[in-house]
Amino acid sequence: MAAPTPAVEIDGVTKRFGDVVAVDDITLTIDDGEFFALLGPSGCGKTTTLRMIAGLDLPSSGSLRIFGDEVGMAPPDRRPVNTVFQAYALFPHMTVRQNIEFGLRMRRVNKSEMSQRTEQAIAMVRLAGMEERRPSQLSGGQQQRVALARALVNQPKVLLLDEPLGALDLKLRQEMQQELKALQQQVGITFIFVTHDQEEALAMSERIGVMSQGHLLQVGSPREIYEHPTSRFVADFIGRTNLIEAEVESAGTLRLQNGKLIAAGISAPSGAAVAVSLRPEHIRVHPRDASASRGDPGDPGGDSLDGTIADVTYLGHAVVYSVAAGPTTIEARREGDLGEPLAVGASVTVSWDHGAVAVIED
Amino acid sequence: MPRSPEARGGEEAAARAGRRQGMLLAAPAAVYLLIFFVVPLGLITVYSFATRTVTGRTSLSDWNIDAYRSVGDEIVVGIIWRSGWLATLTTALCLVIGYPFAYYIATRPRSLRAILLVLVMIPFWTNGLVRVYAIRFLLGSNGPASTLSESLGFGAFRILFTPTAVTIGMVYTFLTFMVLPLYVALERMDWRLAEAARDLYANGAKAFWKVTLPLTRSGIVAGCVLVFVPSFGSYVVPDILGGAKTLLVGSYIAQQFSDARNRPLGAALSVLLIVAMLIAVALNQRSGSGAENSDDAGSDRPRRRRRGADTDADSSSGSEAETRTEPAPAGL
Repeated sequence: MAAPTPAVEIDGVTKRFGDVVAVDDITLTIDDGEFFALLGPSGCGKTTTLRMIAGLDLPSSGSLRIFGDEVGMAPPDRRPVNTVFQAYALFPHMTVRQNIEFGLRMRRVNKSEMSQRTEQAIAMVRLAGMEERRPSQLSGGQQQRVALARALVNQPKVLLLDEPLGALDLKLRQEMQQELKALQQQVGITFIFVTHDQEEALAMSERIGVMSQGHLLQVGSPREIYEHPTSRFVADFIGRTNLIEAEVESAGTLRLQNGKLIAAGISAPSGAAVAVSLRPEHIRVHPRDASASRGDPGDPGGDSLDGTIADVTYLGHAVVYSVAAGPTTIEARREGDLGEPLAVGASVTVSWDHGAVAVIED
Repeated sequence: MPRSPEARGGEEAAARAGRRQGMLLAAPAAVYLLIFFVVPLGLITVYSFATRTVTGRTSLSDWNIDAYRSVGDEIVVGIIWRSGWLATLTTALCLVIGYPFAYYIATRPRSLRAILLVLVMIPFWTNGLVRVYAIRFLLGSNGPASTLSESLGFGAFRILFTPTAVTIGMVYTFLTFMVLPLYVALERMDWRLAEAARDLYANGAKAFWKVTLPLTRSGIVAGCVLVFVPSFGSYVVPDILGGAKTLLVGSYIAQQFSDARNRPLGAALSVLLIVAMLIAVALNQRSGSGAENSDDAGSDRPRRRRRGADTDADSSSGSEAETRTEPAPAGL
């Protein structure tokens, strides 16, 4: 059986604006029905990539297919995709209903079908009763729903969302995250959304593509991206992490800068410079004397470093320690610890399990 | 927090001082306008009810509305129609020529926009009379345009002292007044909305008609008012380029005060012209601010305006008010 046609295939696409390379030779396949996030800091090229799929920017080179059809140079009105724009771009001179009907009118859908589909879309985003209002009379969350309905009423094959939740406040954003996920399952079409918020990307999407400076660095499930970053940038951008420079000593062993040997799953040749990513929540902190009595440094399931507490941040549900260990500072995040936090200046040992170590070979 | 009576008194004193200062700032303009605008306008109004004696003098004793009655004369009605038609034609041509140009300027990079705007303004800085005489030379039977046409075998053309020449001159004179408000509206246009239209299956032309044009409506209205009003009463351009054959309201009024020595008729026409313009401007203003919220009229829904991000509709209606309150250029 032939594999199903992917929703979007981006093949060696580059976009230049004058001398600036906004998107540099990206290749990416997004499957039908997938909830895909393009994640990266501002200026990384994620929005340009989305705009090229929409047809609002044309690629300088490369091939772009939507369900097998080459669309790289097609104008936006000839593509089976619709966009939910950043800040929504609702037409201020039209009512909610006129906004939602716009795409259907442009495609000359007949009257009865148009009103039926519009009603459906309005019901889907729960805007019944607001049809005759202007966008300026709606709250941010309501405008967001109009933008969604305006795009989805056209039954696009792919829905593109450009920072769809960026303009909403935190609480509404979390609500809309759930709603968008549910909506995507309900309509069953491919959603591609652009965000700079890594938590949002982790919470909502099935797969994430991380971009930086025009390059697509890594594509994978939220778990793959978080637990097995393949580059320093990804490790650092997704959540918080401790990046420790190291050198491969032998298969399965790394030498840290202070000479300490630690265990890690590693296949790179001896002498290669690598980095170790250790998530703060995977690091335990013990007062030195106590750990010595337990014989922790010899723990066969993990490794440890000695250091001194340089800073303590109390967050209520967690305590964040900065531990100075030789040339590096290690951040440890303890959740659910009862009792008095350790004090600044205390001698401690930080330790972790072997499974917590992610080695970055770039 | 309860305030002491002294504090409240201080607040009132400050408010009074603020009002005094405001009046002081407005005083020079107010005095100037009173002397050179309100007083002459009052005199014109008074004259319009006066009587023309047989000798052509104006008698200020026998008040009547004869002057207003003679506005209904066939000749006068014809002149008003001709002036209205010419002003409409001028406005339409300015819009058709000016819109694409304003669109072009507004979509250039910021640095280039400034240069193009200066270029638009340059003719405007030159003496108006000089410019009109230049056109007269250009269009004259011995002028460059005619010579060129003759050498190309089309024969000499005679458009000077025709309505065509007047229209050319008027469009040239008033084009700037159309381009500037259109530019302001287009410059404030949120182009993401045009992109959204393209994304929703509108081709380029449809996106323009359905989104860009309605959203720049304020600029179109302002530009049309700024061109129509002065061109309706214009005097210099038709006089120099149109000769005596194409008599327009402006020239006709001037004649009444000079050669014809019928001041009451000239005054009455002036008053009617002013009233008509005021009504036109008021109607425009009303439809301009009404269209955006036409559905809300009579509804008791709370109006919630979102601050910040996308208040384009609001800001454009603001610009409308700004442009409209600019003093209309005096008819040349």
